Amino acid sequence: MNWDAGLPLLIVATSLFSGLAIFFLSEEHVAARTILNLGGAVLKLVLVGVMIWGVFHGHHYEARLPLLPGLDLLLRADAESMLFVVLSSGLWLLTTIYAIGYLEGSPHRSRFFGFFSLCVTATVGVALAGNLITFVFFYELLTLATYPLIVHRETEVARRAGRTYLIYTITGGALLLAGTVWLYSMSGTLEFSHRGIVAGLLDTHRVSLIVVFVMLVAGLGVKAALVPLHGWLPQAMVAPAPVSALLHAVAVVKAGAFGIVRVVDDVYGVEATTKLGVSGPLAALAGVTIIYGSLRALFQDDLKRRLAFSTVSQVSYIVLGIAIIGPIATTGGLVHLVHQGVMKITLFFCAGNLAETLGIHKVSEMNGVGRRMPWTMAAFTIGALGMIGVPPLAGFVTKWYLGVGALDAGQEWVIYILAGSSLLNAGYFLPVLYAAWFKPAPDSWPDERSFGRFETSLALLAPPVVTALLTLAVGLLASAPFSPLQWARFITKLEYIP
Amino acid sequence: MNEITSALLLLTPLLPLVLAFPSLRSRISYPCYIALIPAIVLFVVASIDSLSVAVELPWLLFGSGLGVNGASRWLLAMSVVIWTAAATLQQTTGNHAADNRFTVFFLLTMAGNLGAIVATDMVGFFSFSALMGYAFYGLLVGGGDKTARRTGRIYISFMIAADLLLFEVLLIAASTTSEMAFEAVRLAVSGSPSPGLYVSLALAGFALKAGFWPFHSWLPLAFRSSPPAVAVLIGGVPIAMGLLGIVRWLPLGEITLPGTGLTIQILGVAAILYAIVEGVKRAQLKLLPAYAVMCATGLFTVTLGAALADPAIWNQYGNMPYVYIVSLGFGVVVMVAVVSLLQQHRRTSAAHAQQAADSSLWIERCAGAVVRWGRETGFKTLPRLGVSWRTMAGRFLQSPVWHKALDTAENSLQRWMIAITLFLLLGIAVILAAGIFTG
Repeated sequence: MNWDAGLPLLIVATSLFSGLAIFFLSEEHVAARTILNLGGAVLKLVLVGVMIWGVFHGHHYEARLPLLPGLDLLLRADAESMLFVVLSSGLWLLTTIYAIGYLEGSPHRSRFFGFFSLCVTATVGVALAGNLITFVFFYELLTLATYPLIVHRETEVARRAGRTYLIYTITGGALLLAGTVWLYSMSGTLEFSHRGIVAGLLDTHRVSLIVVFVMLVAGLGVKAALVPLHGWLPQAMVAPAPVSALLHAVAVVKAGAFGIVRVVDDVYGVEATTKLGVSGPLAALAGVTIIYGSLRALFQDDLKRRLAFSTVSQVSYIVLGIAIIGPIATTGGLVHLVHQGVMKITLFFCAGNLAETLGIHKVSEMNGVGRRMPWTMAAFTIGALGMIGVPPLAGFVTKWYLGVGALDAGQEWVIYILAGSSLLNAGYFLPVLYAAWFKPAPDSWPDERSFGRFETSLALLAPPVVTALLTLAVGLLASAPFSPLQWARFITKLEYIP
Repeated sequence: MNEITSALLLLTPLLPLVLAFPSLRSRISYPCYIALIPAIVLFVVASIDSLSVAVELPWLLFGSGLGVNGASRWLLAMSVVIWTAAATLQQTTGNHAADNRFTVFFLLTMAGNLGAIVATDMVGFFSFSALMGYAFYGLLVGGGDKTARRTGRIYISFMIAADLLLFEVLLIAASTTSEMAFEAVRLAVSGSPSPGLYVSLALAGFALKAGFWPFHSWLPLAFRSSPPAVAVLIGGVPIAMGLLGIVRWLPLGEITLPGTGLTIQILGVAAILYAIVEGVKRAQLKLLPAYAVMCATGLFTVTLGAALADPAIWNQYGNMPYVYIVSLGFGVVVMVAVVSLLQQHRRTSAAHAQQAADSSLWIERCAGAVVRWGRETGFKTLPRLGVSWRTMAGRFLQSPVWHKALDTAENSLQRWMIAITLFLLLGIAVILAAGIFTG
């Protein structure tokens, strides 16, 4: 096996082996666990860096392992997969640092970090999948690896959330698998291609292709939290903050959204998606999800629940961008894959800091917290303003491309969705910021812990500050080489320019 | 020289932005003065040889630029003077957290303000003015009393509405031209078949930002509730930047829109009349700058309307609009300073106001009655109706029944999901089997 075939496998294996090794460590081996966790994360990031360099210089990284007759487990580095791999491996490092600080002294850490690593293994597998069956394999692995993290606290509420999560994701997975099998029976291939694999079937299998599209999108829509398949996500916020970060920003919802991107761009292809007439309903569903999620977020007092409904809304920007069908809007959708990740992970890190340091779980408990934890709330402010779409933060770049793309594609109604969503985002984020910065602080906090000269533990403080700076950087430096926007433009060029 | 001016252009908005973050936790000495140094040096360097300096930043946002020319140099000078005055008037409260917070918002507003002045493209201007606008909200509500909070609520609502409108304007511009520099957009819009929507949305957006009549309601409140350090900024920050936005974004002198022009002139005249009548009626020293500003923006609106009706008028003005904006900024500083001084010596009594009302002419009394009626309707009846509607809507939206219904719907869906999926899978299996058996 040469380097070009070995590198994708190595990238997947770094977190797999470190995760498996962590399972065998006892709770007391804190240093060994930390070294394995951080070592795996750093090594993965370095390998991903090498891969990006190679892809940029025209290398083709591809690993094939026979799975079934005629079907391979295929890992391949292309422009689209690199976007997701960089996001997941970059944020995994930060989430690992955060989780080490967050879970300090709590029980079952080896189990937690073991599954945590498996989760990232599955996510990277989803990102590097070169065909639909490999995608489905890692997608289901992701479901199974995430469940123990959701029920980690072993409370009744956590178990209930875990059950709900399993019901949703396994039924979604079943639909996805069935759709995949059906598609394979028609096309005879499942390999992703920039022009799709169904162009030759449009005349003979039109209805079947539409039904399969619906099945695939419904199966993926569960993890992408499309309304009405989103019910598991707000319930899953009972999980520890690092898991919420993983669910909302790095892995699970992203895997669903990325799957929809793959189906539209690389399974059906934009031309066939348009000809089948399925892009319009998908865009409409994304529009409904954006508004519904924001409306529900508006009335949540529980901070993480508010953020969860915000995710329901925000992830659908990705789907909307893809479904508008046009190069500019697609760029907006793709870039939001990264932008939503860095913004939302910032918000969940901050929510975790407030809970761990002061025992704050509700918006109504946040009065004056900006004075007690200024760095955490500064990071939260940047994340929240980014979500609203205030320039020059990450969310502004997304909304700009979606808006210009919608006008370019002649779909003006999207502008109203964007405007409505921005208003609602302001409606549920600005009161939080006002309470934190301008309302007087209470005499005592619900459950305050002291961390010496810093407002909280350094391991908890550094990740949100870094991701907040990233939120600013990816917006401000949107046109710099290697920025997420430039990478998204590069992908769109492959999809749309013959 | 070019490298130095490029660095100065970058540092002008960047230094206050960077200095804002350490101020979150600790007090550094004189950050508000230090933050102004690049702007001062830039002004001096650009004035020595009457240079027009610019730097292209292709990596910034969607490709941006910063620059100073003959006109914007004086805006920069105005800002430096106003920010220095504000920094001098800033008083410590003894509460470290509150002082730090004030300094942070002060520096962020300064960064946005200076950035908007040196921006040479629409996206850059929009970004800096958004930073300025949201940070200025922090300064407005910093006092924490009821009036300050109300001012902040109205101001931020207008800000959000303005930003939404201006975002639409940007999208229209981007769909007209790929170049977002002011000149290029003005040229593209003036050559487009229907510039009316662009002009109307931009005007509405900047009118909201700058507190033009009838979006002025936060202005008197702001002058009443703000400390002098914030009050002196009102002319040079939200209002001046609103006017500057109009001058830079609109293709004035290049398009003719007689209908829109006339409407705007009427609104301008109404604004001036309203400001005069209301200013006289209120007769409060602290509110005087607010009504003077409304008069000035009304006059600007009339001019704007005339320019839209006849582009030749605008072309005759040359750099006069910039001079007007600078004068307005300085004027507010002088007025706030004078009012503050006068207030130390004189308190306007209710008896004095009553005496003034009794001795007024019949025409003033009639105008006063109309204003009273408008105020009664605008400030009492309508808000009361609004409050009652909002309360009803709030009760409905906050009602547990509503939430319960949605939660129940989601739970039912969860129960039915398995059944639906099994049913679908069964259907698919039947179809596949039928396909296999039928060949």
